[in-house]
Amino acid sequence: MRKTGLLFFPAFDWAISPTHPEREERLLYTRDQLFEEGIMDLPNIVEYRPALCETKDILRAHFCVPNVEAHLTEAHFIAAGSSLVLADAYFNKEVDNAFAIVRPPGHHAMTVTHGNRGFCNINNESIMVEYIRKKYGLKKIAIIDTDVHHGDGTQEMFYNDPDVLFISFHQDGRTLYPGTGFVEELGGPIAYGTNINIPLMPRTTDYGIHYVLEHLIMPILEDFQPELIVNSAGQDNHFTDPLADMAFSAQGYAKLNSILAPDIAVLEGGYSVETALPYVNAGIIMAMAGIDYSNLKEPGFVPGKLTEPPGNKEYLDKIIELQKHNYFTRYEVVSELRKSLGDYKKEYTRVFYDTDYIHEEQKQQLRICPDCLGFKTIGSTAQQRNGKLYTVFCISIPIYACDSCQKLAREAYKDIIKSGHYDMVYLQDKVTDNYHIYDLAKDGELIF
Amino acid sequence: MYLIGIDVGGTFTDGIIMKSGNITASAKNATNNSDISSSILTTLDNLLAYVSDKKLIERVVISTTTVTNLIATKGAEPAALILLPGYGLPNSFYELGENCYFIKGSIDFRGNITEELSVSEIKSVIENIQVQNIKRIGVIGKFSNRNNEHELYIEKLIRETYPEALVLISSQVSNQLNFKRRIATTYYTALTYFEWQNFIEQINKALIARDISAEVHILKADGGTIALEASRNYPCQTIYSGPAASTMGGVALTKDSKNSVVLDIGGTTTDISLVIEGEPLYASKGAIIEDNYTHVEAFSLTTLPIGGDSKIGLLNNEITLDSRQDFAACFGGKYPTITDAFNLLYDLKIGDYQKSEEILRQLAIKENLDPKKLAETAINMVMESLENAIKEMFTRWEMEPLYKVWEVVNSRKFVLHRIIGIGAAANAIIPVLASRLGVNHFLSQYSPVANALGTAVARPTININLHIDTGENFYSVYPTGYLGQIKNSRNFSLEDAKSLARNHLAELVKEHNMEGYEEDAVFYLTEQFNVIRGYSTSGKIFDVGLQVKPGFIPEFTGVK
Repeated sequence: MRKTGLLFFPAFDWAISPTHPEREERLLYTRDQLFEEGIMDLPNIVEYRPALCETKDILRAHFCVPNVEAHLTEAHFIAAGSSLVLADAYFNKEVDNAFAIVRPPGHHAMTVTHGNRGFCNINNESIMVEYIRKKYGLKKIAIIDTDVHHGDGTQEMFYNDPDVLFISFHQDGRTLYPGTGFVEELGGPIAYGTNINIPLMPRTTDYGIHYVLEHLIMPILEDFQPELIVNSAGQDNHFTDPLADMAFSAQGYAKLNSILAPDIAVLEGGYSVETALPYVNAGIIMAMAGIDYSNLKEPGFVPGKLTEPPGNKEYLDKIIELQKHNYFTRYEVVSELRKSLGDYKKEYTRVFYDTDYIHEEQKQQLRICPDCLGFKTIGSTAQQRNGKLYTVFCISIPIYACDSCQKLAREAYKDIIKSGHYDMVYLQDKVTDNYHIYDLAKDGELIF
Repeated sequence: MYLIGIDVGGTFTDGIIMKSGNITASAKNATNNSDISSSILTTLDNLLAYVSDKKLIERVVISTTTVTNLIATKGAEPAALILLPGYGLPNSFYELGENCYFIKGSIDFRGNITEELSVSEIKSVIENIQVQNIKRIGVIGKFSNRNNEHELYIEKLIRETYPEALVLISSQVSNQLNFKRRIATTYYTALTYFEWQNFIEQINKALIARDISAEVHILKADGGTIALEASRNYPCQTIYSGPAASTMGGVALTKDSKNSVVLDIGGTTTDISLVIEGEPLYASKGAIIEDNYTHVEAFSLTTLPIGGDSKIGLLNNEITLDSRQDFAACFGGKYPTITDAFNLLYDLKIGDYQKSEEILRQLAIKENLDPKKLAETAINMVMESLENAIKEMFTRWEMEPLYKVWEVVNSRKFVLHRIIGIGAAANAIIPVLASRLGVNHFLSQYSPVANALGTAVARPTININLHIDTGENFYSVYPTGYLGQIKNSRNFSLEDAKSLARNHLAELVKEHNMEGYEEDAVFYLTEQFNVIRGYSTSGKIFDVGLQVKPGFIPEFTGVK
């Protein structure tokens, strides 16, 4: 048995809208099941109280346009803050591992946020990872996204960071939101091979997911040797989920977590509120706490009834081979890329916010630095849900940036303000843990 | 009119009489733990000597250790449990006692049957129990609080095939979420059921013999009372009423809305409870019986093995605190105690001051210590333990989980205003502790009998909780286990839910002989959820809780 920290925050008074999947009822039956089982009464389960995170915790990961308060409710501060409560519990060695059953979710939220996409405003895992790196000095962290949807937000946030390994398995993006997460998305030029996507065929069962876990994810983790494993724990691979089309079971989720053995798990999606979530959440807790879960079964589950889609094993073998190759040859690729790229890598992208129906355009630039990860800038334009149009400029200094990148980035911040071309200019200085927001209309700066 | 309160403690049984707001008499007798009723009656008889006319006795409240002792001494006959755990945690997690039978049959959180019972399996289990001559049976099904069909069926089958046995079903013992706690609550109720009936008969007989027709109540762990007759099915609620009596005594003596800590410092132990804005704090997980959480509501309580008679010793040059072995030396005891240390250091003139001084000097001389230094160190040790325990209780309260946004946003920190001292050793210890914590303290001439006072003036409490599911068209009631159907389920609103709760409370209040108190009931829980299936509303789920909180009978307006 392990000591497992549990933070159950169902936000019984918060919803995106009354009939939205992300509504008050979402964790109601999970509450019923967990309370009725008496899981919280177990001596090795420690229940924690939720807490609000600070604005600064959010700014360590995000550029919120125009500011943090504009899009966030208290519930967002609590969901993110609760993950931090558990991070502290874990690093203070109060518990062996921890599970944040919180809502609203976060893994579709990207670095720049103009609103809600995929039910997410801010990225709970990324906020937690940045907090942990700052507070506890960790370097190598692995995030395994087990939600049925590709964790595109988390991918984007650590795309250029070879110290954060991001692995996401999900229903193939050609058949499900957000339409990304293909094997070609392997990471930025200096982080190539540390972003591993595993698109799965619809109706993949426990067998397929466990197969990928054992033959691809675990060998990569074994090699990467992260100091912390985070499970971005969506529950919508379940065979009853109304928004997706996979065939995972509660036992399947439990086994996944006992093999993966995450240090911290954070709930993401999962909208089969009555037939999946109560059992999947119980299963994850039991697996993490080292409790025998062989007696766990959701009412609709008939063993042997769900079968793998035809040809899946061959498909999975191919993906496993390909992604292993991509991961294990990554250093060679990165050194080739460094030679071929100039001082900066520039990119144009568009981001669509499905929930808030926003189209954002971005011009990104990454400094290719011989000594560190290089600082990054993002010019972003979007017309937000309330009709306001924002053109903003964001500068991010990585936490372990070299002196030269720090200096260039801080100069760029001053120059851009002087240029007067933007509504807002942001400097995210993770080295000094200072976050500058410059509002040109007011000609005023806020520093967090 | 007279009010009588009797509190049975581990060592002493205390009683008081109140008349027109004055404590007019008190009595103290050693508790005879093998015959609690006789301890109660001796104390009652002492008090009756001060009563001019027995017809003027309005109310007698007893706080008794009958059930506590029965469980502690493992004196009860065995009970068997028939458990329907369905799917989830391993069965081993739910085992309790020596005779657990796990059977088929499962219900989900919305009251749907997800696995049928096996009649042949149940019959063979009943036979097995009968063969072993076990006469107390608890039946507990997971989610029986949402649908008790399975429990009722098994109960009926036992009544038919094994009529001599007592059957208790968990939905009627404690109809709340938490299967594990329902198991424990039902189990301990079964263990103590017959003995509690005996106790009630004894008290009834004794009162008739003494020509007392006053209403008789029992103090519960939640600081409220329950009419003796209404308590028949709830013996476990009387557990830990002793500490509840002290807490209520502390609140009765102060009667304001400050944040306080109540310390009941006896000779052997100290009980600590928290009072937040004048209201005692509940233990969030219920009373713990033999390491098992239960559905018995109880005050949050910390007990330390430190009291005024804790013995001061020396071991390898280190000062030690040991459990009580005798009275304090200043009261003729054989050993130096904490009370003696206070006596010496603060010149308190408790009992025979010379003896305190003499015995501490004898101890100090062995290690070449200054007696006052020795006393100071021992007192510091006590203070540190008490301070830590109090701080830990604050922290625990501040760390209780919350499930709603507004609760998190409005969560408070505990700011202590005052320490209320109760019990024999309070006068010595409390002022020092309060000054160390930088807060006020409260002591009263009635502190030594505050437990009996709290017992005498506590009002009845009651708690009713409805789970209403309009989608499945049912509602269930805690504590009665009543299952009903909803009329007008399509337009059922939160207001309807609340008035349904009020109606059920009104009935329960009648049963409990506490009419009038329903007007003091407050809603402590009002939750409603839309049940959405396929983007449209298919029903609503309500959880409403209505409670008469711990407080005082209207006649009591404070101690004069």
